Amino acid sequence: MSVIDILTRVDAICNKYDRYDVEKQKDLNVSGDDAFARLYASVDSDIEAALQKAELASKEKSKASAVAINAELRRTKARLLEEVPKLQRLAIKKVKGLSTEELAARNDLVLALPDRIQAISDGTAAAPKQAGGWGASAPRAEIKFDSGDLFTCIEAVLNNGQFDNEYFQETETSSQFRQEYEMRKMKQDQGLDMISDGLDTLKNMAHDMNEEMDRQVPLMDEIDTKVDRATADLKNTNVRLKDTVNQLRSSRNFCIDIILLIIILGIAAYLYNFIVVEALIPSVLELIFRLPLKVKCWSSSHVSLKLFVMDQLMLALLLFVKWEVFLKKHLPLQCAEVKKMKTLPNLFPWRSDVGFFLL
Amino acid sequence: MPISDPDKLISKADKLTKLSLTRWSADWRNATLLYEEAANLFRVAKNNEKAKEAFEKASKGQEMLSSYFLNEKIRPWDAAKHMESAAALAKELGYWNEVTDFYRRASELYMECGRPQPASDALAKGARALEDDMPEAAVQLYNDASAILEEDGKEQMAFDLYRAATSVYIKLEKYSDAASSLLQLGLAADKCNATNSQCKAYLGAIIIYLYAHDFKQAEKCYNDCSQVDAFLRSDQNRCASKLLSAYTEGDIEEIKRVVQSSTVSNLDHVVIKLARKLPTGDVSALKTDAGKEEEEPLDENDLT
Repeated sequence: MSVIDILTRVDAICNKYDRYDVEKQKDLNVSGDDAFARLYASVDSDIEAALQKAELASKEKSKASAVAINAELRRTKARLLEEVPKLQRLAIKKVKGLSTEELAARNDLVLALPDRIQAISDGTAAAPKQAGGWGASAPRAEIKFDSGDLFTCIEAVLNNGQFDNEYFQETETSSQFRQEYEMRKMKQDQGLDMISDGLDTLKNMAHDMNEEMDRQVPLMDEIDTKVDRATADLKNTNVRLKDTVNQLRSSRNFCIDIILLIIILGIAAYLYNFIVVEALIPSVLELIFRLPLKVKCWSSSHVSLKLFVMDQLMLALLLFVKWEVFLKKHLPLQCAEVKKMKTLPNLFPWRSDVGFFLL
Repeated sequence: MPISDPDKLISKADKLTKLSLTRWSADWRNATLLYEEAANLFRVAKNNEKAKEAFEKASKGQEMLSSYFLNEKIRPWDAAKHMESAAALAKELGYWNEVTDFYRRASELYMECGRPQPASDALAKGARALEDDMPEAAVQLYNDASAILEEDGKEQMAFDLYRAATSVYIKLEKYSDAASSLLQLGLAADKCNATNSQCKAYLGAIIIYLYAHDFKQAEKCYNDCSQVDAFLRSDQNRCASKLLSAYTEGDIEEIKRVVQSSTVSNLDHVVIKLARKLPTGDVSALKTDAGKEEEEPLDENDLT
């Protein structure tokens, strides 16, 4: 257990058993019979309490609580001052068991009381005594109306009935404070001036911007209409283009294209047929077939060699003529050609099949 | 066109346009195209003289086209554009008369197209080009341009023109004209409910009158402007009244202080310059004048 704990416990026990402390009770009882003593004791304790509160107030940082405590102190002081006359009356009364010296002493005590009560500082400076009455209230951080000054004034008036010149004497601190105040005000004014200039410029700019916007509004409307028109035109053009392209690729045109293609191919095939199948190939085939026959004839009679050669020549000539005829686009044989062809078989009277071949 | 030589183009175009036995009507369309090309080439080659001629001819060609083909509304537009380019080149070359002519012609063509906005723009450009050398003509152009805009009902655009005209007038030291153009600005601003510009214009006019040492006129102007509600309620009004009262009292310091205030600093540059130079001449003379005027009525009263 620590010392502090011991002390606390001792105190508590003492308080508890104070009742049984005969000596103390005797002291208290002494004053129990004596009204004066009682009253005096109570006043004394009040004064002590007030002194303690005054000390607390002086240490107090917050002005508001200090002021409250001071006000309470003043009230207490006033009450105590009221009690003083009562005490005086009681002091004069003779009480049994009291010596004359004590009586006189009591009187003195009672007389000393008011002074002691006044001495309790309640934040108001005892102005008539102190020269720097106003000065005491001067060094303050904020400008606040302290009722203490007023009370001091009123007290002075009530107590002394006159104003001392010293009341209104400015101390150094107060004039310094005033100077500082003026400087700060000037600086604030300067700052405010700058701000007002800036605001003026802003206002002007804002007004100009407003007017500019008003100017732009109809222009924007115009742009809006024009662009709307352009979009409509574009849309229209797009649709038309789409239609045109679709038309180009439509199925009807496609079928027509195919049919025409087929017709062209058919014509080509027909032509191809005619040239190759009908005219050329048979002649070529004939030539091929005739060759072995010619060879046979020739082997049988070499006399007919001359004839054979002439035969071939004639055949070639015939082919050529036929080709010519075909080149003339398969026209019906002209009279001249027919005549030419008809005369030819006469060259070969010994050859009957050539005639068949010809016609 | 494979031919890149602008001279050849010009000669070709000329041939197309010249009427002769073989050619009964000038082929203006092709000729104009050739002229345009030649002009562009000249401009690139920095041959300003020729370029200007080419532009002139191109523009004339466009005009001819427009007269032949009345349904082609775009043509006067192109003609006007060419005129403007020709005018710009003329400005570079320093042919001031031609500049005015071209710009006026261009603006007329724009009006034909039914577009007053570019018309006034063309005149304004011309005026700006002429500001330095022919200020009177410039100011004339400015006034015409503002007239066109006012007719069209677009006063908002006219503000800038009025301000420019005012600055030219001040340069010419024609202070009453300058003040009157500012008052016209005020009128235009009133129609558009542009109160700030209006009040600034009125304050500027008053300052110009004071600068021209015409105190009576300034007072008259102030009284006229006070009739206008918007001016009455504005900062500029207070500033003007302060200025005038400072003048009547002959308080130079006060005048200087008013002039340094932000209200005056928000006005036009030229006006601020004038204001800073206030007070001109003898302010005390104005004071005695005002004093004398007060005495006379008393005398009359005495007589009657």
